[in-house]
Amino acid sequence: MRVPAVTLASASLQQLSSSSAASTLVSLSAVLMLVLSFACLGSKLFNRYVAYYGAQSIVLSFAAAVVAVRFHSAELWALAALTLVLKGIAIPVATRQLLLERLDLRRDVALSTGLSTSLIVGALLTTFAYLAIGDDTLPHGLLAAAVVPLSLAVVLLGALSMVVRRHAVAQLIGWLITENGVFLGAITLAATFPFIVEAGIFLDLVAAVLIMVVFVSGITRRLAQATATELRELRG
Amino acid sequence: MTALIWVVVLPPLAGLVALAPRCTTRIAGAVLVGGATVSFGAAVAMAALVVGRGHSQSLGGFFYVDALASFFAVTVAFVVLLASLGSAAYVQAERDAGALSSFQARLYFTFFSVFGAGMLASMFAGNLGLLWVLIEASTLASAALVGLEAKARSLEAAWKYVIICSLGVTIALVATVFLFYSGSALHLSSDQRLTWAFLFAHARELQPASLRLAFLLAVIGYGTKVGLAPMHTWLPDAHAEAPSPASAMLSAGLLNTGMYAIVRYEAIARAALGDRYPETVLLTFGFLTMAVGVVFMMRSGNYKRLFAYSSIEQMGIISVALGFGGPLGIFAALFQVLTHAIGKAVLFLTSGHVSLGYKTREIGGVRGTLGALPFAGGVLLLASLAVAGTPPFGVFLSELTIVRAGFAGGASGLAGLFLLLVVIGFLGLVGSVLSMSTGDVPEPAPVAYPTTSGRVLAAAPLVAGLSCLLVLGVFVPSGLSELLLHAVRAIS
Repeated sequence: MRVPAVTLASASLQQLSSSSAASTLVSLSAVLMLVLSFACLGSKLFNRYVAYYGAQSIVLSFAAAVVAVRFHSAELWALAALTLVLKGIAIPVATRQLLLERLDLRRDVALSTGLSTSLIVGALLTTFAYLAIGDDTLPHGLLAAAVVPLSLAVVLLGALSMVVRRHAVAQLIGWLITENGVFLGAITLAATFPFIVEAGIFLDLVAAVLIMVVFVSGITRRLAQATATELRELRG
Repeated sequence: MTALIWVVVLPPLAGLVALAPRCTTRIAGAVLVGGATVSFGAAVAMAALVVGRGHSQSLGGFFYVDALASFFAVTVAFVVLLASLGSAAYVQAERDAGALSSFQARLYFTFFSVFGAGMLASMFAGNLGLLWVLIEASTLASAALVGLEAKARSLEAAWKYVIICSLGVTIALVATVFLFYSGSALHLSSDQRLTWAFLFAHARELQPASLRLAFLLAVIGYGTKVGLAPMHTWLPDAHAEAPSPASAMLSAGLLNTGMYAIVRYEAIARAALGDRYPETVLLTFGFLTMAVGVVFMMRSGNYKRLFAYSSIEQMGIISVALGFGGPLGIFAALFQVLTHAIGKAVLFLTSGHVSLGYKTREIGGVRGTLGALPFAGGVLLLASLAVAGTPPFGVFLSELTIVRAGFAGGASGLAGLFLLLVVIGFLGLVGSVLSMSTGDVPEPAPVAYPTTSGRVLAAAPLVAGLSCLLVLGVFVPSGLSELLLHAVRAIS
C-alpha cells in the first residue's frame, strides 16, 4: 500500500511525568474515584448509588481540569466542563427525578451475592488491574503508570456491580461508573485524544442514558402492572 | 469521492419523513425504499470507482474509502434495501392488523433510518475513534427497534441488548485509547494517531505490548456486538423480539459492522505483531462461538432464536476464516460476510411472513408452511438450505474456500473441526425448518399478507436476495471478485 504523507503538524505524544504537582492531584483524584466505586459497590440504597456516581464524576471533572491546566488545552477545559455539567449534575438529577422518585425506588433487594462477597471480589479485581498493566505496557516515571491501573480497577468495579445487581437502575449506574473509569484512563494516557471523538462519545452517552431511562421506566411499570393483575386474580 | 460518501450515507435518512404529522405508513415506506435504493446504487458506483482509482481520504483522515470499506458498504446497503422493502410491507400489515399503533410505526421508521445511516457511515470512518462513536450510535438506534412493541418481553430483551452491548462497546473504547497510546513514539498529530491508514502504514513502529492489549480488547469489545461467545447472550433475545425486518438488519447489518471494526484492528495487529497472536485470538473466539451457536441451534424452540443462533455460528465461521488468514482466508471471510448477510436477511424477512400468518414464534406451533404459504414456505426452506451451506448457493462456495484456506495454512485438524461443526449446524437448522415446512396445514389456513400490493412488496426482497445467492453460488461476477481482491490487498 502507498504510505500516506504526513500533512498536519506533527509531534510525539505529550505525556505527564509522575513527579509534577499536577500529577499528584490527578493521582489523588484517581484514588478517590476508586474509593467511591467501592462505596457504591458496598451500598444497598438507590439514592446512594446515584450520589456516589455524581461525586465520582465531579472528581473526574476536577482531574480533567488539572490536566487541562497542565497542557493549556481549551479542548480539555471544555471536556472538564462537560463532565461536570452532564455527568456530575444532569445525569444524577435526571436519574433521581425520572427514575428513583417517580418509580419510588429506595432499597435494592435484587442482589445476587452478599455485599461482603462482592467487596472481596472487588478487591481481587483491583489487584488484577495492577497485574494486568505490566511494566512493558507502561514505563515507570509516567503518571499514566500510576493512574491507568486505578482506572482499569474502576472499570472492573463498575462491571462487577452490573453483574451482582439485577435491578436495571443499578446496572445503569454500574455502566456509568465503568464509563468514568474509561475517561480517567483516557485523560492520563491520551490527554490529546481528538476532541471531535470525545464530543461524539459524550453525545452517545447522553443518548444511551435517555434510551435506558425510557426502557427502565417501561420495564418497571410493566412489572408493577403484572403484580397488580396477579393480586386481582388471586382475590376471592 | 467525498460527495459520493454522502450519497451513500444520507439517503436512508429519508425515512425520517415519518416524523411529519400527515405522513402515512404507506408514504413513509415508499420514501424509505426510495432512499435505500439510491444509497445502494451509490455504494455500487463507489465500489466501481475504488477498484479503478484506489483509496482516498477526506476531512483530515476522518473519512476514508478503500476497497474494504466499499465492499462492506455495498453489503450493508444491500441489506438495508432488502430490509426497507420488507419493512414497508411488514409495518403496513401490522398496522392493518392493529398490532402496531400509528405512533409505533412512526418510531419504527425514524429509528430504522437512523440505524441504517449510522451503519453505513461507520464503514467510511477512517478515524477509529469516529468508528467507535458511529457504531455505538447505531446500537442505540437499533435498541429502540428491539423494544418497539413495548411488551414486557421485548422491553427486557431491549434492556439486555443495550446494557450488554454498551458495556462491550465501552471495552472497545478502552481498546481505542490503548491503540492511541501505542503510537506515542510516532511523530503525528493527535487526529492522525487514530487514523487507520496512518496506523496501518506505521504498524511496525507501534508499541507492541499496548497494541496487543488493544487488539484483544477490541476483539472482546466489538465481539460483543458481533455476537462472539461468551459475549453473545444478548443476541438471541434481541433478534427474537425485534420486528422481523429489524431482526434482518441486526443480523445481516449490525453484526457485520462489528466484524468490520475487528477486521480493521486485525490488519494493524497482523502488520505489527506478526500472524501468531491475532490468529490465536481469532481462532479461539471463532471456534468457541461456532460451538455455542451449533449446540443452541439443536435445542432452540423458537424459530427466530434458531436463526439468531445460526447467525452466532456464522460469525464464528467468519472469525475462524479471519484466523486462518492469508489472502485466501481473508478472501473467504469477506465472501462469507456477503453471502451470510444476504441469506440471513432473506431468512429473517421470511420469518416475518410466518409470524404474521401463524401468530406464533414457536417452532412447535408452525406446521405445513409449504402447503399454507407456498411462496414464503418455499423461500424459507430454500433460504435455510442456502444459509446452512448447501450447493448451489453462495454460502457453500465461501465455506469451501474457508476449508481450503485452513488446509493451505497447514491447520488440517482445525479445518476438520470446522467441517464437523458446519455439518452439525446444518442438521440443526435444516432439521427444524423441515419440521415447520411439512405436516398438515392448520385450519383456518394462515394468511401472511391479505392485500395483493402487500404480497408483492413483501415478496420482492425475498426473490431478489435468493436469486443473488443462487448467482453467487454458481459464479462470482468479475466486478465483485475484483472488489474482493482489492479489499484483501488493502489490509495485507
